[in-house]
Amino acid sequence: MLNFLEKNLPKIVLAPTAVAMVVCMYGFIVWTGLLSLTKSRMMPQWDFVGLDQYSRLFSNPRWDVAVDNLFVFLILFIVIALVLGLLLAIFLDQKIRVEGAIRTIYLYPMAISFIVTGTAWKWILNPGLGIEKLMNDWGFAGFEFRWLVEQDMAIYCIVIAAIWQSSGFVMALFLAGLRGVDENLTKAAKMDGASTVRLYWHIILPLMRPVFFSAIVILTHIAIKSFDLVQALTGGGPGYASDLPANFMYTYTFNRSQIGIGAASAMIMLFGVLAVLIPYLYSELREKE
Amino acid sequence: MGSISLNGINKSFGTTEVLKDINLDIKDGEFLILIGPSGCGKSTLMNLIAGLEDLTGGEIVIDGKDVSEESPKDRDIAMVFQSYALYPTMNVARNICFGLEMNKMPKNEQEVILKKVASLLQIDHLLDRKPGQLSGGQRQRVAMGRALARSPKVFLFDEPLSNLDAKLRVEMRTEIKKLHQRIGTTIVYVTHDQIEAMTLADRIAVLKDGELQQVGTPYEIYNDPVSHFVADFMGSPGMNFIECIVKDENLIIESGGQKYELSIPCKDAIQNSKLDVVLLGIRPEMLTEIEPSVEKNSFIHQIKFDVDVLEPMGADTVAIGKWNDNEVMARLSPEAGNTAGKGFDLQVDTSKAILFDPNSGLRIR
Amino acid sequence: MNKFNLTNINFGRAIIYFILFLFAFIYLAPLYVMFTTSLKDIEEIRSGNLMALPLDPTLYAWKKAWATACTGSECKGLAPYFWNSVRIVFPAVIISTILGAFNGYALAKWKFKGSEFLFGALLFGCFIPFQVILLPMAKLLGSLGLANTVTGLVLVHVIYGIAFTTLFFRNYYVGIPTELVKAAKLDGASFLKIFRHIFIPLSTPIFVVTIIWQFTQIWNDFLFGVVYSGSGTQPITVALNNLVNTSVGGKEYNVDMAAAIIAALPTLVVYVIAGKYFVRGLTAGAVKG
Repeated sequence: MLNFLEKNLPKIVLAPTAVAMVVCMYGFIVWTGLLSLTKSRMMPQWDFVGLDQYSRLFSNPRWDVAVDNLFVFLILFIVIALVLGLLLAIFLDQKIRVEGAIRTIYLYPMAISFIVTGTAWKWILNPGLGIEKLMNDWGFAGFEFRWLVEQDMAIYCIVIAAIWQSSGFVMALFLAGLRGVDENLTKAAKMDGASTVRLYWHIILPLMRPVFFSAIVILTHIAIKSFDLVQALTGGGPGYASDLPANFMYTYTFNRSQIGIGAASAMIMLFGVLAVLIPYLYSELREKE
Repeated sequence: MGSISLNGINKSFGTTEVLKDINLDIKDGEFLILIGPSGCGKSTLMNLIAGLEDLTGGEIVIDGKDVSEESPKDRDIAMVFQSYALYPTMNVARNICFGLEMNKMPKNEQEVILKKVASLLQIDHLLDRKPGQLSGGQRQRVAMGRALARSPKVFLFDEPLSNLDAKLRVEMRTEIKKLHQRIGTTIVYVTHDQIEAMTLADRIAVLKDGELQQVGTPYEIYNDPVSHFVADFMGSPGMNFIECIVKDENLIIESGGQKYELSIPCKDAIQNSKLDVVLLGIRPEMLTEIEPSVEKNSFIHQIKFDVDVLEPMGADTVAIGKWNDNEVMARLSPEAGNTAGKGFDLQVDTSKAILFDPNSGLRIR
Repeated sequence: MNKFNLTNINFGRAIIYFILFLFAFIYLAPLYVMFTTSLKDIEEIRSGNLMALPLDPTLYAWKKAWATACTGSECKGLAPYFWNSVRIVFPAVIISTILGAFNGYALAKWKFKGSEFLFGALLFGCFIPFQVILLPMAKLLGSLGLANTVTGLVLVHVIYGIAFTTLFFRNYYVGIPTELVKAAKLDGASFLKIFRHIFIPLSTPIFVVTIIWQFTQIWNDFLFGVVYSGSGTQPITVALNNLVNTSVGGKEYNVDMAAAIIAALPTLVVYVIAGKYFVRGLTAGAVKG
C-alpha cells in the first residue's frame, strides 16, 4: 500500500489540478458551446435550436461594431506596440547609463490594473479639462481633442491607453531577446564591416523572430480578452461605439439576459484565440523537433 | 558482498530497443567497466541496475536476490554521476550524510562516518563549503564521498571523470583504482574512454547498439578482440585494418603499389574461412623502424611507408602514412626526426596480427 | 572607423538619450497627472490644467476616496473594498502558488505516461478567453453556495491561476538537473523528501516570481470580480469603477484620481521593490506560455 502510494504520488499530486482543469476549463467550454446552441435567455435551458444564436449574433449591428473595433484595435495596438517596443529596446541596448531606471519607468504601467489605466486616461483625455485644455493653455488656441466622446474616435482612445500600458512590456521582451544574441555574432559582423543599421536589419532582427511571434500572440491575447479597459475608459460608449467583443459578451449575458447570444459570442472569441494560437503552437513545436 | 547478475535484460523506449538480451555476471569485488560509443545503451544499463528506470524484460539479481521490482533505495547501491549531482543548497558534510539521514541514522553515527570518509578522500577542510565553491576535482571527491558514506554493496560510476581536465583525470583515475583496492567493493563503471577502461578494469564489457559484444580482461579485449568493432574501438592510436587477398596460407597486399606477401600465425584459420579476401588487423606498435637487433623470423616483413603526418607523443611518435594505398599508423621512436612527406622502410611484425571477415566483421580464428 | 568622428557619435547618442528620456516622460506623465490632480481641489482643476502643479495641495480627495466616496449606493469610500481585495488575494496567491509548485515539480521531474499531454492541456488554459467559462462558473459557484462570496472568488482565482503557476514552476524545475533526483532516490529520499530537501531550497526565485505574478494578476482582476462578487464582497477594481461612474453631485476628478492611485498602489509598490522578478515573470510567462 505504502509502496503504491509512493509510486503514484506524482499522479495523486496532479489529480486535483487535472480534475479542475477537465471540469472548469474543458467541461465549461463544452457547456458554453452547448448553451450557445440553445434558445436560452434569462436562464439556461436546453432546447436546441442549432446555430440560431450565431445567426442572430452575426446580424446584430452591435456585434458588428464590436468585431470591427476589435480589428482596428488589434492592428493598431499590435503594430504600434511592436514598433515602439522594438525601437526602445534597441535604443536601450546601446549601453545606456541609466538603463535600469528607464526600464523601470517604461514597464511600470504593466503592473497597474486596466481599470486604473482607464480611469487615468479618461481624465487625461477629458474633452473639456484634459489634453485639450492643456494645449489651449500652452498657447495652441482652438486645439480640439474630443475623441473620447466621438463615435468614430472613441476606439482610438482605447488604443492609446492600451499601448501606453503594454508597449513597455514588449520592450522588455525584445530587450531580453537582444541580450540573448551571441556577442561573437555581433563582433563577427562588425569585423566583416557591417554598419550598425545593417547589423540590426540583417542579423539581429531575423534572430528576433521568435520574440515577434510571442509578442504578437501575447498582445492578441490581451486585445481579445480586454474588457476592463473599455469598461473603465469609455464604458463602451458613446452608445456602443467603442465596444469590444468581450464587452458585448458581458452586456448580453449579464445585463440583457440573452445568455444564448452571450455564449455564442464567447465561443466566437475562443475560436478567434485558437486561430492565432494553434499556428503559433504548431510552429513552436515544430521548431523544437 | 555485492555480486550482480544481469539475466536477459531488455529495455525499450517506445518502439526503440535500447538494450537487447544482456547477460552478464559481475563477481563480488570486481571492477567492471562498461564501454561503448555514445548511444550504445551503457548509461541506460547503469540506470537499470540502479533501479532508476524500469526493465522491459529480464531480471537483475544482486547477491542472489531478484531486485528487478525494487525501488532504488532498497537496492543498497550508490552512484557517482558525470555531473556529480551534488545537492547545491547543502554543504559538503550534509551532501555526504544525506543518504544516512534519509535512512534515519543517528547524528553521532553519521559524524563518525563523515569523518572517516572525509579523511579517506582528503576533503576534511571542505566540509562547510557549498558545492558551488568547489573546484571540479573537489566536487568529484565529494561525489565519491557521498557514495562511500553509505558503504553500499555496489558502486556505480557514470563517466565520473569526463568533466575534469586531462591532468586531473589521470590523477583521479589512479585514486579510484587505489580506492577500489582498499575497500574492495564491487564497482560498475561506465565510460567511453578506452584508456580509462584499460587502466581500471578487472574486466571490460564492450557494448554496441544495445548488444554486448565481448566481456573480458583488458588484455583479452586488447589482444584477442572478437570482432572488428571491438578491435577498432579499443586502443589508441587505433588498430590498422588492411584488406588482403588470400593466397594459400599467406596474405597478399598489392593494391596500388608494390606486392607484399605476408606470413601470419593463424594459418589454419585462413584455410578454414574459405574467404578470398580478409581484413588484416595489426596494432600500430607492430609497425616500427627497422631494428637490426631484432631476430629475423618469418613474421617480420619489410615494407615501404610514405609518411604524411607525424604526431610526436613524447615517449614515442605516431606516424600516419601510406602502405601502398592503405592508410596506416606506425609507432616510431621519438628520435624518428621529421620524415613527413618522405618515404622510408618500416618493419611489420605480424606475429600478433589477427584476421576478420570483411563482410560480417567477425574474427577469423 | 575614421569616417565617424567623435562629434558624430556623440550626436547619435544624444538623439538616443533624447528619445529615451522623452518616452520616459510620456510613460510617467499619466502618473504625474493622477498624483497632482489628486492633490488639487475641484476649483483648481477647473481653472488650471493637467500638468500644472497643485497651488495649494490638499488631502481632501484622498480622504474622501478612502472613506466616504460613493461607490454606487454605498458611500463608505474604497476602504472596505481594499480589504476585500486583500482577503481575496492572499489565500488565492498562496494556494495557487503551492499547488503550482507541486504540479510543476511532478510534471518536470516525475514524468509518467500522459504527463506531457496533461501539461499541454493545462498550458492551453493560459490562453482561453475567460468569457467562455464565465457562465458555467457562475452556475457552479451558485450550486456550491459560494456565489457573491470572497471564498468563491478565491476559488475562481485559484482554479484559473494554476495553469500559470504550474507553467512557471515546471519551466523552472526543468532546468534543474534530473541527476539530482536520481542521486537523491539512491540516497533513499522519497518524492516529498526530494521536493522538501532539494527542490524547495532551490526555489526562492521562482516563488518570488510566481507570487508577484499572481498577486498582480489577482489584485488587478476586474472580470471575475465584477461577475462573481456581491455588493459586500466586491474587490477594489470593481469599486473603483463604480466610484468613477457614480455621479452623485458634481464629478470630482481629484477623488477619482486618488481612488485610482489607492487601487494601483499595492501592485506599484511590489513592482518598485521587486521589479526584477516582476519582469522575469512577465517574460517567462510570455516566452514559454
